[in-house]
Amino acid sequence: MINDPYKRQKYKSQKRSKIASLSATYVILLILSIIWIIPIFWVACSAFRTEYKDGTFIGAVTSGFIPSTVGFKNFADLFNMTYNGIEHAFLRWMGNTLLVAVCCCLISTFLILSVAYCMSKLKFKMRKPFMNLAMILGLFPGFMSMIAIYFLLKSIGLVANQDQPSLAILGIIIAYSAGSGLGFQVAKGFFDVIPNSLVESAKLDGCSNFKIFKSIILPLSKPIIIYTALMSFTGPWMDFIFARVIIGPTNVEYWTVSVGLYDMLFGTFADINLFTKFAAGCVVVGIPIVTLFMFLQKYYVEGVTAGAVKG
Amino acid sequence: MKLNKLFMLSALSILLVSGTTSCGGADKKLTVWVGNEEGTAEFYQAACDAWLAQEGNPYADYQIIVKGTDVGSIAGTITQDPKAAGDIYTVAHDNVGKLAAAKCAKPISETSLVTQIETDNPTTFVDVCKSIVNGKQALYAAPYISQACFLYYDKTKISDEEVKSFEGIMAAAKRNNCKGWTVPSSDGADGYNFSWSILSTRVSDHYTSLKLYEGASAEAGGTKGEAYCQGDDRIATLRWVQDALENPNGFKFASSDGWEKDLQNGACLGLINGSWAKNAVASAIGEANLGVALIPTFTLTENNVSGLDNNVVKAGDVYRGGSFADCKVFMLNANTDSSKYLAQQALVKYLSSVEMQTSAFEKQTIVPSATAASAQIDQLFNDGKVTQSQYDIAKVQVEMGAWGIPQPFITGTLNTYYYSKSAPAIYAAMAVKSNYPTTGTALVTNTAEVSGIRQGLYMMNYIWLKGKNPASIPTSLPAAIE
Amino acid sequence: MKSEMTRKEEKVKKPNPFVTFFSSFKSFFVNFHKRFVDGSIGTKLSHFIMGSGSFYHGQYVKGAMYLFLQVLFILFMVLCPEINGTPYGFKALINLRLGGSEGGDFDPMTGEMTQPSNDQLMLLFGLVTIAIIILYLLVWISNIGSSYKADLEAKKGKKPTTFKDDLKALLDSKFHVLMLTPTCLAALVFTLLPTIFMICMAFTTYNQFDMNAEGTVLFHWNGFSNFVYMFTGESQLGSEIKARFLPVLGWTFIWAILATLTCYFGGILLAILINKKGLMGKKVFRTIFILTIAIPQFISLLSMRNLLGEYGPVNSLLQSLGWIDQPIGFLGLSASDNEYVAKVVVIIVNMWLGIPYTMLMTSGILMNIPADLYEAATVDGASKTKMFFKITLPYVVFITTPYLISSFVGNINSFNTIFLLTGGGPTYVGYQAGGTDLLVTWLYKLTIDNGEYNTGAVIGIITFMITSTITLITYRRSKAYNEEDTFQ
Repeated sequence: MINDPYKRQKYKSQKRSKIASLSATYVILLILSIIWIIPIFWVACSAFRTEYKDGTFIGAVTSGFIPSTVGFKNFADLFNMTYNGIEHAFLRWMGNTLLVAVCCCLISTFLILSVAYCMSKLKFKMRKPFMNLAMILGLFPGFMSMIAIYFLLKSIGLVANQDQPSLAILGIIIAYSAGSGLGFQVAKGFFDVIPNSLVESAKLDGCSNFKIFKSIILPLSKPIIIYTALMSFTGPWMDFIFARVIIGPTNVEYWTVSVGLYDMLFGTFADINLFTKFAAGCVVVGIPIVTLFMFLQKYYVEGVTAGAVKG
Repeated sequence: MKLNKLFMLSALSILLVSGTTSCGGADKKLTVWVGNEEGTAEFYQAACDAWLAQEGNPYADYQIIVKGTDVGSIAGTITQDPKAAGDIYTVAHDNVGKLAAAKCAKPISETSLVTQIETDNPTTFVDVCKSIVNGKQALYAAPYISQACFLYYDKTKISDEEVKSFEGIMAAAKRNNCKGWTVPSSDGADGYNFSWSILSTRVSDHYTSLKLYEGASAEAGGTKGEAYCQGDDRIATLRWVQDALENPNGFKFASSDGWEKDLQNGACLGLINGSWAKNAVASAIGEANLGVALIPTFTLTENNVSGLDNNVVKAGDVYRGGSFADCKVFMLNANTDSSKYLAQQALVKYLSSVEMQTSAFEKQTIVPSATAASAQIDQLFNDGKVTQSQYDIAKVQVEMGAWGIPQPFITGTLNTYYYSKSAPAIYAAMAVKSNYPTTGTALVTNTAEVSGIRQGLYMMNYIWLKGKNPASIPTSLPAAIE
Repeated sequence: MKSEMTRKEEKVKKPNPFVTFFSSFKSFFVNFHKRFVDGSIGTKLSHFIMGSGSFYHGQYVKGAMYLFLQVLFILFMVLCPEINGTPYGFKALINLRLGGSEGGDFDPMTGEMTQPSNDQLMLLFGLVTIAIIILYLLVWISNIGSSYKADLEAKKGKKPTTFKDDLKALLDSKFHVLMLTPTCLAALVFTLLPTIFMICMAFTTYNQFDMNAEGTVLFHWNGFSNFVYMFTGESQLGSEIKARFLPVLGWTFIWAILATLTCYFGGILLAILINKKGLMGKKVFRTIFILTIAIPQFISLLSMRNLLGEYGPVNSLLQSLGWIDQPIGFLGLSASDNEYVAKVVVIIVNMWLGIPYTMLMTSGILMNIPADLYEAATVDGASKTKMFFKITLPYVVFITTPYLISSFVGNINSFNTIFLLTGGGPTYVGYQAGGTDLLVTWLYKLTIDNGEYNTGAVIGIITFMITSTITLITYRRSKAYNEEDTFQ
C-alpha cells in the first residue's frame, strides 16, 4: 500500500514505538493491578487459612502471605459462631443487614428521586433555599448528632426496649434513610440532562406533573434509579458507628454485620485468633456486594460521571 | 403559600409522633445483666430459673431474663439511657460512685442483704460499694466477683523457681533469646494494665508511698488531696522499670493486641493481665503450656537508688509488682418500678450469696468475692470439682488481691481522672529513659534524671487531683509530703 | 429553554436581600391586618379557632383537619408528654433555661426514686418543642390564608375548592409539596434538629470533666466562654484545644490537599493508561480497579491495617529480607511510632482507595474529548506530553471542578480512613488528638469516647465553618450553579 520507502520506514518505526509504548503500558498496568489486588487477595487467603501449631488452631495474622493449608474451617466456625450468647450470630447479623439494606434502599431511592425531580424540573419559591440548606446540612459531621437522633427515635418509641428489642432494626432503618433525601445532587444532575422540552410538550398535552414524572421521567431514568438504589443498598453494609449507637451495644442479636465484624476485632472478645474468622466474614459480605457492583457497573459509572460533572 | 400544605402535614405527623409515649406498666419481669464471658448468661439464667422454682419463693410469678453485657464499658451505656438498662446490672466496682450519683442505682435497703454483703466480703470490697448521695451514705452494690491482675507464663520455658522474681524471668528469657514479659497497651482505658509497677509494694513490710485517694470511700470527695505518687520509692521502682525496658531480655510494651502475637511467636515468655485474657493466652501458647503466678518481685539496684533518700529506699530492697484489687458488683436499676424493689433485692441476695458464688466458680471459673467462697477453692479442688488451671487462676487472683490496691473511685469524675486523662500514659512514657522533651507532647521531662522523673510524677499527681495537665511544673519539688 | 424575555427580567431584578427581607416582613403584617379587616366572619374566626374559615365555606374535611391539628397542638403543649422523665410541651420551654435542674432523691421507705433532671434531654426536647411551635404557626397562617382565598373566590362568584380538588392539585400544581414533604419532615427531625442541638452544645458546660461533684448530667448555658477558652487555654477544654488545634487543623488541610490531588491526578493518569488506543483487556483492568470501590471500605481499611501492622506480612517480609530489625510502625498504632511515617502511609493507602474512583469518572470524560482538538494539535506537530498538558488535562479539570471541590470537602471529613487505619495515632501523651487525627476524628474522640460534648461541638462548628466557606465560595462561583438554567 505504502510505496514510498521512506514513508514505510517511518510507518514501521511509528509502529515499533507504538508497540513499545503499548507494552510499557501493559507492564505498568500489570504492576498496578498487582498492587491493587494484593490486599484483597490477602484477605481472601486469610479467610481460607487453616493452620495449626501444636494442635492449636491459629487464626491470627501470620507472617506467611500464602497459607500452608487451606480449608473451610473459618467459614464453618463463623456460621456456627456463638457470640455473646447469641447462637449463629453472624447469620443473624447478615439477615439484619439484608433487611435494613433492602428497606433503606427502597425508602432512600424513593426520597432521593422525588427530591431530585422537584429540584430539577419543577419551579417553586423555596427551591434555591432548599438546595442551599441541603448542602449546608451535609457539611456537618454526622456523628455529632447521633445521640440526639437516638433520643428522638426513642421519643417515637423506635429504639430497642426490653420488651421489643427488635425495634432497634426499625430505628436504624429510619436513622439511615431519614436524611437520605438531602443527598439528591447526583440524581438531580442526571435529571438536568433530560431536556425540558419533553416536560413542556407533555404539559401542553395536559399531563399533570405526577403523570409526567411517572410516565415520562421515570422510564428514562433507569440508570440513575439503579445507581441510587445501589448506593443506598450498600450503605448499611459499611457503617459501624451509627448502627452501634442506635441499635445499642447490648443488643448483639440485632447488630448489623459491620458492627459485628468491627467488634470481632476491637470488642471485648477480640482475640487475635478471630482474625481469620473476620476475614471469612469479609469474604461473605464482600462477594455479594462486589457481584452486585460488577453486574451494575455500567449504571454505577453513569452515576459517578453525572455526579462529577454536576457536583 | 404553596408550602403551607407541606408544613401542615409536617406538623400533623410530628404531633402524632410526639404524642405517642411509651409507658411501661408494672409487669412481673426482671432483666439481669451479667458479664458476657462464654456461658455466663446461660449459667445465671439457669440459676434464676432455679430460684423461681424454689419452694415458698414469694416472687415465683416473676419472669427473669438474663443477658450478657460488656461489664467494662457498660456503665457508659447505662448512664446514657438508664431506662433501657437491666433491672439488675453488673459493673466493675469503680463505676459504683458514678452510677449512684447519676441516680442510675437504688441503694440497698433490705437489712438481710446488707448484712450478707458486710459479713461475706472483705472490708475493702464493702467500702467500695458504699457511696454518698445527697449527703446520705448507703450501700449501693453487692459484690460477687473479684479480680486482680497476675502473671501468665509459658511453663515449658520458665521454671517454677524463676517465675518468682522478674530477675529469674529475665534469666529464662536470656536462655531463650527473647523478651521476658509483655505488658498490653498503656494508653487510655487500658492504662491500669501497666499499673503493676506503680502499684508495687515492698515485700518485707508492704510499704509504698503511693496514695490513690486514700480513704476516699469513707468520706466521698473529702480526702482526695491525699493523692500522691512522687515518693522516692516510686522513683526508684520506675528506674528499675526503665532498666528492665532497656534490657534485651526485660519487658516490652505491646501495641493493641500485639501481646498475643508475641506469646504465640515465643517473642515473650510472660504477660501481666487479668483473668479475662485467659482464653486468648491459652490459644496463643497452648492450654498445656499455660502457667499462672503472682506478679513477681524485683530487687532494686545501686543505680536505681542513687541520689535518693537512703532512709526510704536501699539497694537490695525487694518489691512485688502490684495489682488493682477489683470486684464486680450487682446494682439495682433506679428506674425499675418501685413495686419490684424487694424482688430486685431478693434476687440479688440469692445471686450474690456464698453458695451461688461457689457454684459460679465451679461451673464458670468466676472468682468469688466472698471470703467464705474463696476459702472453699482449695476444698473444691481437692474434691476434684474444678480443674487444675481453674484452681491456679483463682488461687493466684485471691493471693494477688492481698497485694492489691483498689482503684480510686468515689465519683465518676475522679475515676476518669485516674484512667483516661493520660496519667498512665505519662508513666509509660517515662519508662523510656531516652524520652527527652518533645515539642507538642505533654512530656517535658528528662527522664534520665531524678528531678525529671519527679517532675513527670508530679504531672501524674496533678492529673489525678485536678483532671488536667498542670500549666507549669515547679523546678524544685519536695521528695515527700507528710 | 426559557425565553429570552424572562431571563432578562430575572437579570434586571436584583434587589438588595435586606430590603427584600424587610419589605416582605412588612407586607406580611399588612397582609394580616387586611385579611382580618376584609375577611368574612369565617376568616376572622379562624384567627382563633383553626379551620372555622374552611367550615364557613363548606370545606369540611379541610376544616376538620385544621381543627384537629389545633386540638392536638394544645394538648401537646398542655399535657407535656414525657420521655425518660423529661417533658415536652410548655414545660420543655421552661426547661430550656437549663441549670434549674434538680438532683433527684431516694425514699428508703418506699423504694421510690425521684429521678434527677436530664439537661441533655431538656435541651433536645426544648428544641423539638420550638420546632413544633414554629410548624404550628405556619399551619395557623396557612389556615387563615386558605380561608381568605376562599373569601376572595366567593366574591368572584366562584365555588371554593373541594377537598378532592385540593388532593388533585397535589398531583399537579402542588406536586412538589407532595414530593418534598417526606424528605422535609425526615430531614427536619433527624438532620436539622440534631444539628442545631449540636451547635447549642458548644454554648453549654456539658463536659464530663466539668460536671459537678455528684457526677450527674447537669449543665448550664455558658455563652461564648468555650470559644474564649480556645485562646486562653483555660480549663480542660481550653488546654486541649490550645495545644492541639493548630497542629490538627494544619494536618487536616495538608491531608485534604494531598489526598485530593494524589487521587485526582493518579486517577487521571490511570484512566489515560487504561484507555490507551489499542490496549487489549481494558475491561479486565478496569474491573480489577473497581474491586476496591466495590468492597465495603471498612473491610479494605481493616485489612490494610492488619497487612501493615506490627505483625503483618509487610513487616515480616521486610524483616525476613533483613532490611529492618524491628517492625516499622507504619500506622502509628503505638505512641513511640513516627508520626510522619504514619502520615505518609495513610496518604498512600488513601490513594489505593481513591484512585480507582477518579479513574472511573474520568474515563468517560476522556472519551468525550472532541477528537478534532487532538487532530488539530497533531497537524501542528504537538508532542504527546504537550497534548496532555494543553488539551487533556485542562478539559478534564474544567469539567470535573465541582467534583474536585466536593472531594476536597469530603477529605476534610474523611473519618473512616483515619479512624480505621491509624485511630489517630501515634498518641500525643496528655492529649486526645494524636499525630494523624483530623478534626473529625478528634471530634469523635472528644464526644463519643470522652464525653467532652462542648469541646467536640466547638470543633464541630469550626470544621463546619471551614468546609462551608470553601464550598459556598467555590460552589457559587462554579458554572454548574450559576448556569444551571442555561445548561438545560
